[in-house]
Amino acid sequence: MSGSISRRKFNLLALSSLAAPALIKARAFAAETITVLNWQGYGTDEEWALKAFAEKTGITVKHEYFNAESEMVTKVKTNPGAYDVVLVNSARVRQLGADYLSPIDPAKIPNNSSIPASLSMHPNFVINGKPYGNVWLWGMTGLAAREGKAKQGDSFALLADPAFTNRVAMNDDPIIAVGIGALMSGQDINAPKDLKLVGEKLKSMKKNIRLLWQSEDEWNKAFAADQFDLAIYWSGSATRSRRNFKLPVDFIVAKEGAIAWVDTLTIPTSSTKAEAAYKFINYMIDPDFYYEWATKVGAPASANPAAMAKLPADDLNKLIHKQEYLQQMQIMGTLSDETRQSFVDLWEETKAFYAK
Amino acid sequence: MRRLGIGWLMVVVAFLYLPIGVMMLMAFNASPFYTLPIELTGHWFTDLAQNEKLLDASRNSLLIATATAIISTVCGTAAALVLGRQTFRGKRLLQILLLPPMAIPWLIIGTAMLVFFHWTGIGRGLHAMILGHVALSLPYVMLVIGTGIQTLQPDLEEAAMSLGSTPQHAFFAVTLPALMPSIIAAGLFAFAVSLDQFVVSYFLAKPGVTTLPVEIYSSIRKGFTPEINAISTLLLGASMVLVIAFAWLSNFGGAHERR
Amino acid sequence: MPSEAAPAITSAPPAFAARGVAWTRRLTTGAMLLPAYGILTISVFLPLLVMAFFSVLKRSPFDPGPLSFTIDHYLVFVRRPYLIDVAWTSIQLGLWITGVCVAIGLPAALALAKATEGRSQKILFFLIILPFWSNGLVRIFSWTMVLRDGGILDYAYHLVLPSAAPLGLLYSFPAMVIGLVHAYLPYMILTCYLSISAIDNQLIEAAESLGARWPMTFLKIILPLAMPGIISGSVLIFVPVIGSFMEPRILGGKTGVTMGTVIEDQFTQAFNWPLGSAMSFAMLGFILLLFGVFGRALKQPATAAS
Repeated sequence: MSGSISRRKFNLLALSSLAAPALIKARAFAAETITVLNWQGYGTDEEWALKAFAEKTGITVKHEYFNAESEMVTKVKTNPGAYDVVLVNSARVRQLGADYLSPIDPAKIPNNSSIPASLSMHPNFVINGKPYGNVWLWGMTGLAAREGKAKQGDSFALLADPAFTNRVAMNDDPIIAVGIGALMSGQDINAPKDLKLVGEKLKSMKKNIRLLWQSEDEWNKAFAADQFDLAIYWSGSATRSRRNFKLPVDFIVAKEGAIAWVDTLTIPTSSTKAEAAYKFINYMIDPDFYYEWATKVGAPASANPAAMAKLPADDLNKLIHKQEYLQQMQIMGTLSDETRQSFVDLWEETKAFYAK
Repeated sequence: MRRLGIGWLMVVVAFLYLPIGVMMLMAFNASPFYTLPIELTGHWFTDLAQNEKLLDASRNSLLIATATAIISTVCGTAAALVLGRQTFRGKRLLQILLLPPMAIPWLIIGTAMLVFFHWTGIGRGLHAMILGHVALSLPYVMLVIGTGIQTLQPDLEEAAMSLGSTPQHAFFAVTLPALMPSIIAAGLFAFAVSLDQFVVSYFLAKPGVTTLPVEIYSSIRKGFTPEINAISTLLLGASMVLVIAFAWLSNFGGAHERR
Repeated sequence: MPSEAAPAITSAPPAFAARGVAWTRRLTTGAMLLPAYGILTISVFLPLLVMAFFSVLKRSPFDPGPLSFTIDHYLVFVRRPYLIDVAWTSIQLGLWITGVCVAIGLPAALALAKATEGRSQKILFFLIILPFWSNGLVRIFSWTMVLRDGGILDYAYHLVLPSAAPLGLLYSFPAMVIGLVHAYLPYMILTCYLSISAIDNQLIEAAESLGARWPMTFLKIILPLAMPGIISGSVLIFVPVIGSFMEPRILGGKTGVTMGTVIEDQFTQAFNWPLGSAMSFAMLGFILLLFGVFGRALKQPATAAS
């Protein structure tokens, strides 16, 4: 028996050699699966989009979610190889850095060509001349007011104005809170020199603040129940609240500006499916995908001007998110652990002050 | 005096069910933002019937809660019996050790479990969740049963034995039935702790597997709709029916039957 | 069978057999304790030891670089004095909720144990536990609908007094108390019920036949015998309330700042596990201290009664 091949084995070999060409053809359209880590309901998990993507490329997309940015960081750091595309706010890219993320090769993302270099190579996420995240969406955090209670160009000082006593909802986020305080005192939101002044600005709002919110849903429910008239809110969410839920809210770009944020899509170094990841990222900045997502579901502003251009002229999203804001406004940037901790400490102290 | 007592009891029950009533009412209200005035509709329930995720999550929750209640009550009763009736070195320490699981915020314990299970290879999944849930409900179980034990007549078992019964028989025929109300209460508490436990479940669940409280907690981000009320109403309604039927039909003996 | 067992118990066993009995006794004790404490060790004590280890690190353990140690985090109340206010809020909440639960729950338990019986008693027993089974978050949210301006209570209030100012109940300390009392009341009712139902009615009848009136019967007979229930109920309530964060956040509005919320923020916003853990252990230490001090005082009547 040994030395000679058995009849069964021979048959098997013959059959498989016949099947080989078919297999090779199938490989070109291989069913690959990638895992995306993102907020739930934030564009990458739209059913219709994933279906279209799978049909076009044969790549199936699975998702894992996080409920907080710190959670995202933990997950990336403690699960090597688990994720192929991760949504990372531009302010956090450096926190993960070259240790955990791969540099983005712009050549692999054709849709990037319509994004200005000032944005695609923003210092926030460029390390040693290479971008480590691909810009995807942007938005602003600023004033939102019940219809008629404030107008464009009003000042953040309204937050402390007696007219709004006990009618203000503040975002329970230390980075945003310090950012607003910095804007109110004319400082850099990422490196305010006078934290004490920031604290004073925030404390001056004590009589007005009624509640602190952490999620869009909380905000919507309290607003619908007429609990407040003025708030700090996200621009994309304000658009969605107005358009989808018919809530009478206006996003106001204050005279001091607003805090701009940029979300990027990244590829962890431990991912083994970079090619497929690139295809997916390219699809996400595709103007056609964005158009569907923004008009049918509701989305923040796209960082791709070509995608924004596709929206109808009277689209609320387009009207609010003017491209030049990205040039003018301060964008949330990387914070060192010490700075972040100092912001958290200031905000905790302020909240304790509010509670007294 | 008696009527006063019953009146007060009714007031208390009314207080306990006030938000429950609101919760159930809102399951039938059309407004997705829970605003008044009330427009009655059943569509949240029909939406729920198609919400595989939520239904799946509820099934998981019930399964885990049942397993937790059973395991926790058995282990907890055994331990409580020892702590309540024997004296030995280290007993004080064992009692004090019941405090940390109750005192430390779930987030800390959940994170600690996640890290520890990760390092020791216990990993995430159903077994980890049940382990976590049982651990968190044990102090409650032991404290409740401990109360029951403290109120036991100590000489009853001895009396039974002096009449010729073996220690084991005395235990099962006298002590255990006397403890039944405490054990049942403890089991129900353990079930409740598990059903409401979202932090530990969130951290220890395998991706894709989810439980009801986790879904509810995460849906605060996306949009917490009255579908959640609908499922809570259904769960509570079903429990009410089950429990009232059990009370009606069963006859758990114990202290309150002795007259 | 019976008469054979009796002499075995009453006659003194030989020394060798006595050691055997002691050994079996220890084994049984160990075996009974093992499942519960084994699970607790794996799931809670060891993980918490890991956290304790983290609490003396300077930076998050996942950051690159060598580990450096410090006890600085435990001085957090010194470094950040505003936390003393926050801790005091938590303690106040604990005291209020426990106090109100005793005041409301004890009479209710008494009524349940003595004024009702049979089926209605059993049904009421379960009805009191049932609200526990509803999801905490949904319950708290339902409270916002009851307590908020324009909500159910406010609406009813204005039906009677149309021109009065809004009640302003939501987003305040009282709202947190209401929400927390509602969440923890069943514990107190049930532990007290368990203790009170063991009180022999003959005791009460005897006292009454001797001429004692209700307040006297209550103080001298019922209260001391219900103590185990009151105490365990208080422990079950006070301890978790101190670390609570959901009710404060949702019902407290800007007043909802407690040790629980502060610790949560250190974990989720600052990503500072060492500091968050240290604060949790400081809180735990404080609770243990409290029990050390009060436990001594409370142990006496409890053991005397049993």
